[in-house]
Amino acid sequence: MTAHNETGELQPIHHEPTSFFLKYLWSTDHKMIAKQFMWAGLVFLLIGGTLAMMIRWQWAFPGAPVPILGSILLRGSGGVIGPAQYMTIFTTHGLIMIFFAITPLLIGMFGNFLIPLQIGARDMAFPWLNALSFWMYALSLVLVIASLFGNLGPAGAGWTTYPPLSTNLGTPGSGQTLMVAAVFVTGVGSIMGGVNYVTTIIRLRAPGMDYFRMPLTIWGLFLTAILNVLFVPVLGSAAFLLLLDRMFGTQFFIAGSVTGAPAGDPIMFQHLFWIFGHPEVYILILPAWGIIGDLFSFFSRKPANFYRGTVGAMIAVTVLSAVVYGHHMFQTGMSPMLGKSFMVLTLIISIPSVMLVLNWLRTLWGGSIRLTVPMLFALGTMFVFGVGGLTGLYLGAVVPDIYLHDTMFVVGHFHFTMAAASFLATFAGLYFWFPKMFGKRLNDTLGKIHFWMSSVFITLVFGGQLLAGYAGQSRRLYDPYQYSFLTRLHGLNRWTSYAAFLLLLGQFVFIFNFFRTMFFVKASGMEANPWQVSTLEWAIPSPPPYHNFDTIPIVVRGPHEFANPVVLERLGRDWIGQAEELPEAMPGSARKAGT
Amino acid sequence: MDFLGLPHDASVNGYRIDHLINETSFFVILFFVVTAALMLYACLRHGERHQASYDHGDTWKSFRWTLAVAAAIFLVVDGPLLVESLTDLREVFFNFAYAESQPQAVRIEINAHQWIWTARYAGPDGKFNTADDIVTTNDVVIPQGAPVIIQITSTDVIHSFNLPNMRMKIDAVPGIVNRMWFEAKETGQFDIACAQHCGSNHYKMKGTLTVLPRADYNRWLGEASANSSRGFDPDDAEAHWGWDWAAYSRI
Repeated sequence: MTAHNETGELQPIHHEPTSFFLKYLWSTDHKMIAKQFMWAGLVFLLIGGTLAMMIRWQWAFPGAPVPILGSILLRGSGGVIGPAQYMTIFTTHGLIMIFFAITPLLIGMFGNFLIPLQIGARDMAFPWLNALSFWMYALSLVLVIASLFGNLGPAGAGWTTYPPLSTNLGTPGSGQTLMVAAVFVTGVGSIMGGVNYVTTIIRLRAPGMDYFRMPLTIWGLFLTAILNVLFVPVLGSAAFLLLLDRMFGTQFFIAGSVTGAPAGDPIMFQHLFWIFGHPEVYILILPAWGIIGDLFSFFSRKPANFYRGTVGAMIAVTVLSAVVYGHHMFQTGMSPMLGKSFMVLTLIISIPSVMLVLNWLRTLWGGSIRLTVPMLFALGTMFVFGVGGLTGLYLGAVVPDIYLHDTMFVVGHFHFTMAAASFLATFAGLYFWFPKMFGKRLNDTLGKIHFWMSSVFITLVFGGQLLAGYAGQSRRLYDPYQYSFLTRLHGLNRWTSYAAFLLLLGQFVFIFNFFRTMFFVKASGMEANPWQVSTLEWAIPSPPPYHNFDTIPIVVRGPHEFANPVVLERLGRDWIGQAEELPEAMPGSARKAGT
Repeated sequence: MDFLGLPHDASVNGYRIDHLINETSFFVILFFVVTAALMLYACLRHGERHQASYDHGDTWKSFRWTLAVAAAIFLVVDGPLLVESLTDLREVFFNFAYAESQPQAVRIEINAHQWIWTARYAGPDGKFNTADDIVTTNDVVIPQGAPVIIQITSTDVIHSFNLPNMRMKIDAVPGIVNRMWFEAKETGQFDIACAQHCGSNHYKMKGTLTVLPRADYNRWLGEASANSSRGFDPDDAEAHWGWDWAAYSRI
């Protein structure tokens, strides 16, 4: 019995369920679950973005009534954001964007949709667990919304939820409890998803799909899933202990004269949080790296430069991400020895990061670049990731961090990586795989308008944050101009806010394009492989049948086989599929190169 | 262009931080501009009409080249940042032995609460938590040209004592005494800010740092000490939050 048949028998073809409940709600089909994550993630991306606009409004026009939103959300105060509401807005913005928008889109949507399709499997290893993972996430969304209406007030301790502020001492409202519970529940869902992804990639690769033949996207998702499985449980433990502190009167994280000695340790929470929190920023960027690494090759019509080196660099970053978290805590009174160690380890990350960038650059160099919408977004991702990565240098070293710690410079830095790069890469992937998901293409012109508005204004917004932080503005200030050394920043902040409003405006171009294509464009006439690329998912119809592959493909080469002169000679095109047999030379044609 | 640039530096050692930030900016901007220019050039000149080269870039030569460039960038950009950071920490920012050994050094204990900075000076007897202590609220007075050592804790939530014009910052954590030291180069009044989100009035947790010439400082110290002794109440336990300095001044 061949390996081929074995894999086929392990994954029998099931019939697609016809009932509404099993088809759309409790679906075990990875493609439907991906779409569920997509809808929920996009909705929450818009909610999180709207909250960001309210923060920007407050910094541009402190104390002025918020137009439109104010009359809906802030009726009690006449549309004005108060200090306590401001706390809730930035806390909810951060948590929604990280856990309920970017995570579901980049990992939930792309992970579910692409892993089986790109490795040649008929579904995930544990389809039922997959459905449960989505519904855990959906439950956490309910908790997030409920937290806004919590008795004694909503959540307000910041996305980092540092105790004692996040205990009943600082935020007594049940909203904070519900928010911590939401993070815990979505964490459980992430772990389920992570276990599923890891198992699927290890066990269900099609015959011939060696680890080093997987698309870089799969590598990114694989490493992300490993980090999720290892480190989300740590976040879960921190959240759980915090819930005990809030609900059952324990004192794990409370200290100081309010407790009466002896007591717990607030810093212990920060250790637990950042052991998870630093890998988390890589959790949110690794899939993005993978996606743009593939797209650079696809649209340069050229093999990805030094594929194994790129994979190696991604693995190195993944490993290092686990041992650098202390740089978030340089100012907590950490021992000098620890501070120095974390500084050295943090700066070492720049070596694999530079290797990644060099490989991307050399992939582009000497290619035949097609500036399609996904390619533009991928290039934009590389650009903003460059800013985000480089500004990390300042913060990884103890001495500049003394001044820059907890300023808007930190905010700008992590927005360039986690927000700008992840956001643009999400759209790169969405424009690229939308035809695969729905069998039709998004409009190109609208896509280009969306790209330019997104990338230009996102750079201006987060660039404005970097400048404000460099000039000394602390994070999370309801009214920065209370401080005399910050009054000079009012103009800068206002212009940054205008850029933010235009960034939001640009997203409506996407929303229009998305709904127009989804509901008013007929799925017909699209080529099966509109981008002319070689990975497995493009060798089957779009959208794929319920069981993906009629027969499990046998993979014979890597994911980036472009510009091969032999292929060009025998097939008349510049690419060949991963599972495509190269035909023998035409009789009579001269043999130029060996195969 | 008033919004560009670091706030005024009124400290003796702040220039070290500014130097490291600016030096890093130079290399970072250079690297970024070169990379972006190469990216742009490739997009413009290696477009659709350009023949793509069939190159996997996975030869040993290619690998060595990539590693060499990455290592060179690490040495040039990260190297100085790392070495100078370690030097600065050893010579200044972690060098509490120097600060504590200076006879004219000023020692202050700070207790942060929502949303107030309370400062305590030992007074003439040189001991903390005694009747002659000077206690101030949102008002820290220091002399020019002497090391100022601060030990700090918090009563309720985590705060962060931030002196942007002195380029100094340290978290105030309940249950822990942290410390920092700095030296003012100029006289004047500067902002004390809270850098760690500490609740709804975080943005108003503001104090004033007043730097006086030594003689004026000594006069202030004498007057304030006399006032404090008059206001001392032995039964007010809440007011006796000071601690033994030596217990936390290990070097």
